[in-house]
Amino acid sequence: MEYRTVLTTCTYCGCGCGFYLEVLDGRVVGTIPCKTNPVSEGKLCVKGWNVHEFIHSPKRLTQPLLRKDGALTPVSWDEALDFTAKRMREIKEANGSDSVAFLASAKVTNEENYLIQKFARAAVGTNNVDHCARL
Amino acid sequence: MTNSIVELENADCILVIGSNTTSSHPLVATRIFRAKARGAKIVVADPRFVQLANKADLYMRHKLGTDVALINGMMNVILSNGWHKQDFVDERTEGFEEFRKVVEQYTPERVSEITGVSAEDIRTAADWYANAKAGSIVYCMGITQHTTGVDNVKTLANLSMLTGHIGRESTGVNPLRGQNNVQGACDMGGLPNVYPGYQPVNVAANKEKFEKAWNAKLSDKVGLTIPGVLEGLSAGSVKAVVIVGENPMVSDPDVHHVEKALKNAELLVVQDIFLTPTAELAHVVLPGASFAEKDGTFSNTERRVQRVRKAVEPVGDAREDWKIFQDLSTRFGYKMEYGSPAEIMAEISSVTPSYGGISFERLEGDGLLWPCPSAEHPGTKFLHQGKFSRGRGLFHAIEYKPPAEQIDAEYPFWLSTGRIHVHYHTGTMTRNSPTLHKEMPEGFLEVNPVDARALGVKSGDAVRVASRRGEVVIKVDITARVTQGTVFMPFHFVETCANLLTNPANDPIAKIPEYKVCAVQLEKAL
Amino acid sequence: MVEKVKARVQELLASGKVKGFIGLRELHGHIGPYLFTDGGDLDGFVIGDRKAAGDTRYPLNTQLIMISRQYPEETLGVLVRGCDERGLKTLFNTNQLKPEKVVSVGIACPQELADVCECMKPFPEEFVAGEASEARPFGSVERIESIEIGERLKVWLGEFAKCIKCYGCRNICPMCYCPECTLEAKDFQAVGSIASENPIFHLTRALHMAGRCIDCGLCSEACPADIPLRTLYKKIADIVDLEFQYRPGYQDSKGKMSPNVLGEAAKH
Repeated sequence: MEYRTVLTTCTYCGCGCGFYLEVLDGRVVGTIPCKTNPVSEGKLCVKGWNVHEFIHSPKRLTQPLLRKDGALTPVSWDEALDFTAKRMREIKEANGSDSVAFLASAKVTNEENYLIQKFARAAVGTNNVDHCARL
Repeated sequence: MTNSIVELENADCILVIGSNTTSSHPLVATRIFRAKARGAKIVVADPRFVQLANKADLYMRHKLGTDVALINGMMNVILSNGWHKQDFVDERTEGFEEFRKVVEQYTPERVSEITGVSAEDIRTAADWYANAKAGSIVYCMGITQHTTGVDNVKTLANLSMLTGHIGRESTGVNPLRGQNNVQGACDMGGLPNVYPGYQPVNVAANKEKFEKAWNAKLSDKVGLTIPGVLEGLSAGSVKAVVIVGENPMVSDPDVHHVEKALKNAELLVVQDIFLTPTAELAHVVLPGASFAEKDGTFSNTERRVQRVRKAVEPVGDAREDWKIFQDLSTRFGYKMEYGSPAEIMAEISSVTPSYGGISFERLEGDGLLWPCPSAEHPGTKFLHQGKFSRGRGLFHAIEYKPPAEQIDAEYPFWLSTGRIHVHYHTGTMTRNSPTLHKEMPEGFLEVNPVDARALGVKSGDAVRVASRRGEVVIKVDITARVTQGTVFMPFHFVETCANLLTNPANDPIAKIPEYKVCAVQLEKAL
Repeated sequence: MVEKVKARVQELLASGKVKGFIGLRELHGHIGPYLFTDGGDLDGFVIGDRKAAGDTRYPLNTQLIMISRQYPEETLGVLVRGCDERGLKTLFNTNQLKPEKVVSVGIACPQELADVCECMKPFPEEFVAGEASEARPFGSVERIESIEIGERLKVWLGEFAKCIKCYGCRNICPMCYCPECTLEAKDFQAVGSIASENPIFHLTRALHMAGRCIDCGLCSEACPADIPLRTLYKKIADIVDLEFQYRPGYQDSKGKMSPNVLGEAAKH
C-alpha cells in the first residue's frame, strides 16, 4: 500500500498555483489544491484540477527516436545522443557556431533552462537562444 | 508583474486590458473579484466581451489594435483635469514634456472615433484610475501580441507614471505571463541578448564574468529570436535547431511558413513529452520528463520562485530534461556533471544577482520573489519603490499606429485569436487529459449573430475561414462576445489551427507576432 | 492536543488495528493529506491548524474512499472533525465505505472555527482531543433571506456570473462520488461553455446536494470566485430537513426517510 502526496507547482499558466499530486501505487491519480499556497489558497482552475491526467497518457514519448530511412525509429539513448552530439559538432565546424540555434522552454524548470542556454553559449558558442515568451 | 498577485485585492481601481483573466489566469481573477467585493472599481477594456466584463463597473469595447489611442485618450483627460501626480513626475521621471505634446493631440472625441469607445467612458475610466488611492493595471497578450506591442506596453507604463500608480503597494503595471515558467526561462537567459539575470551578452564585463564562471570562450554577438531562426533556416544560414518543450508547428504564426523553414534544417532535435506536430518533423526526438517527474523550480508571473517536486519516475525510458542536456553537452565535448537540480540552482545564484539569495532550502514554504540578492534578503514584493531600475522613469511619446493588416473587400472580417478556459496553449497536455478533452473536444469560431445571419449559418455549422496565408474549416459558435465584423478563434486545436491564418508581421523591437489582428474571409462550408 | 491524537494513532498503527491512517502532515512548510503507515514514524503529524484553527482542512474521506477501493480488505484509520464524521456516516449509508473497515479518530473544533462555519455540531460523537464547542445557527442563510426576493436572485446570479467552471466545488466535495456527474450532462450545460452563461450549473449541483451535503464548507473554500456555495447548500439542507426530517450524518435525525433509500437514489 503506497499512497503519497507530493507538493508541487502547476505546469500550466503563470499563476504558479500549488497542489499535492496524489500517488497511489506508483501512479499519479489525483490533484489536491494546497490550502496554504500564497497564490492559490486551496483553489484551482479546471486545468489545474486535472493536471494529473496527462502524466501517464499512453501517448507519452517513452524512448528516443531517430529518423532512419525517413521514419522515426526507436533507438537507445546512447545512439540518439551520440548522433545528435556528432551532427551538431559537424555542423558547427562546417558552418560556424551561429548556424546552430536553440529554443529553450517556458515549460521546463529554471535549472533546465539554465543548462540549455549554458550549453548553447559555453559549449556551442552561440547566443542563438530564444523561447516562446512572445507567444 | 511589478507587484505581487495578492496585492490586487487591495487596489481601489483595476484597469484590466487585453486579458481574459478568468480563462487564462483564473487565480489572478480571484483577486480581482475580491477587490470588487471590497468596493474597487473594475475597468475592463477588451475588444471581446470577456467573462470579467460581466463584473466590470465599466466595460470599454475598443476596436482591435487601438490600445495606444485608448490609453492616450485617458491620459489626455487626466492631464487636462490636472489629475496627474506632478510631484511624482518631477521627482521620479523624465521625458514628460515631449510625451505631453503627443498626448495633448488625443482628445476623448478624437480617440472615440479611433477606438469606438464613447468619450464619456474614456473620461470615467481616466477619473477612476487616476483618482484611486491605489490604481493597478493588469494586462496580457491582448496588449503585447501586436505589431505595436512594445508601444502598447510603454503607453501603460506612461499611464502608471503619470498618475504615480507605481512603486507602491497594490499599484503597478502587471503583465500576466501565459506560461508557468516563461518568467523563469527569461530570468535564466533563455533569450538571445542576455545571460541569466538580464545581463546583456554584448557588455564586455558580463562576457568576461561568464567566461570565467563557465570556463569557456563566449560570443558577444546578440543571437537570433525565433522569427530570426526561421528566417535563418529558410536562408540556409541556420542549419541545426534544438527545440525543447515547444511546438511552433501549432503556436507560431503562419504555420505553412514554419513548416517549410523547419524542413530546411539539416538537424532538427525536438525534446518533448508527446510526439507533437513539431516533433514529427524532427531528425531526433528525445523523450523528456513531465513536471511531475522531476525536481526543480518555476518562477511565476509575480516573480515568485517555487519548488517543483518529483512525484514519480519518468515514464518508460524518458529522462529528466536536465540530465539529457548535461549528457548531450558532455558528449558534445563540454563537460557537465551536476548531481541534482539543487546543485544547478547553487550555480545560478552565484552568477545571477537577482537570484543571489535563492537556494532550495530557502524555497520551502512560500518560495521567494526576486530580486533576492543575498541569503538574508526576504525577496521583493513590488518593484520600483523609491527609484526605477534605470534611475528615472522614462516617458515615451507614442502615437497610435493601426495594425499591420487591414480588412478589405476580399478579406472583410477581423480575426483575433486566444485561449479558452479548458485548454492550454497548443493542447499537448490538455488535449491528452480525458476530462479536459471531453469538456472541449474541438475548436470553434465565434461569430456575431448579425454576421451569422448574413452568412446563413447556425451555431454548429461549418465555415471556411481564409486569410492571405491559409484556410481552416471550423464550426461556428454564434455569440455577441464578438462584435459585428470580428471573429475569434482559439489556437489550441491543431485540426483547426488558428495559426494557419495569423499574420507573422511582428513588433520591430520585441519581435512578437500580431496574433490578435489579421484579416479573413468567411463562407459557409458545404 | 495534537499529542493525544498522535498517541491514539500510534496505538492503532502499532497494534495493527489499522493498516494505515489518513491524516495531515506538515512538510515543506505546508500541511496536506498524508497516509501514515508506521506508528514509529509520525513526523510532521498535525491536526490542520496552521495560522488559524482548521485553516488546512482537507476532504480526508475522499482519500479514504480512494485507498479503500484499491485495498478493500484493509482497515484504515482517518482523522475526523464533526463534519467529517457526518460524512462518514452518510458514506456508510450510501455503501461507499464499510463501517467495519474504518476507524475514526475524532477531534473537536474550537469555538472560533464553529463560529466561522456556523456549524450545527462542531464535534464528532467521540473525540480524543479538544472540547465540544457550542453549535451555531445558519446566520448566512438568514442574512441572504432578509434580502427581497427579486434582489436576492440578482445577488445569486451575480455570484454565479463569476464561476469559471473549474468543477472545484464538486471535486473537493467528500460527498461527490458518483461515477457519472449530471454537471457534465450535455442537456444541462453546453459543451465547453462557462457556467456563468447558464446558472443551471450551480442550481443543479445545489439540488444534488440535497440529502448529501454534510456542511463541511470545503466547496466555498475551494471556489476561485469566492461564491458562497456553502450558504446555498445550507439552505438546501434546511429544506430537506423541513420536508423529510433528515439531515445527513446527524445522529439525532428524526429520519422519516431511510438514509439507505436516499443512498440508492443518489447512486442513480
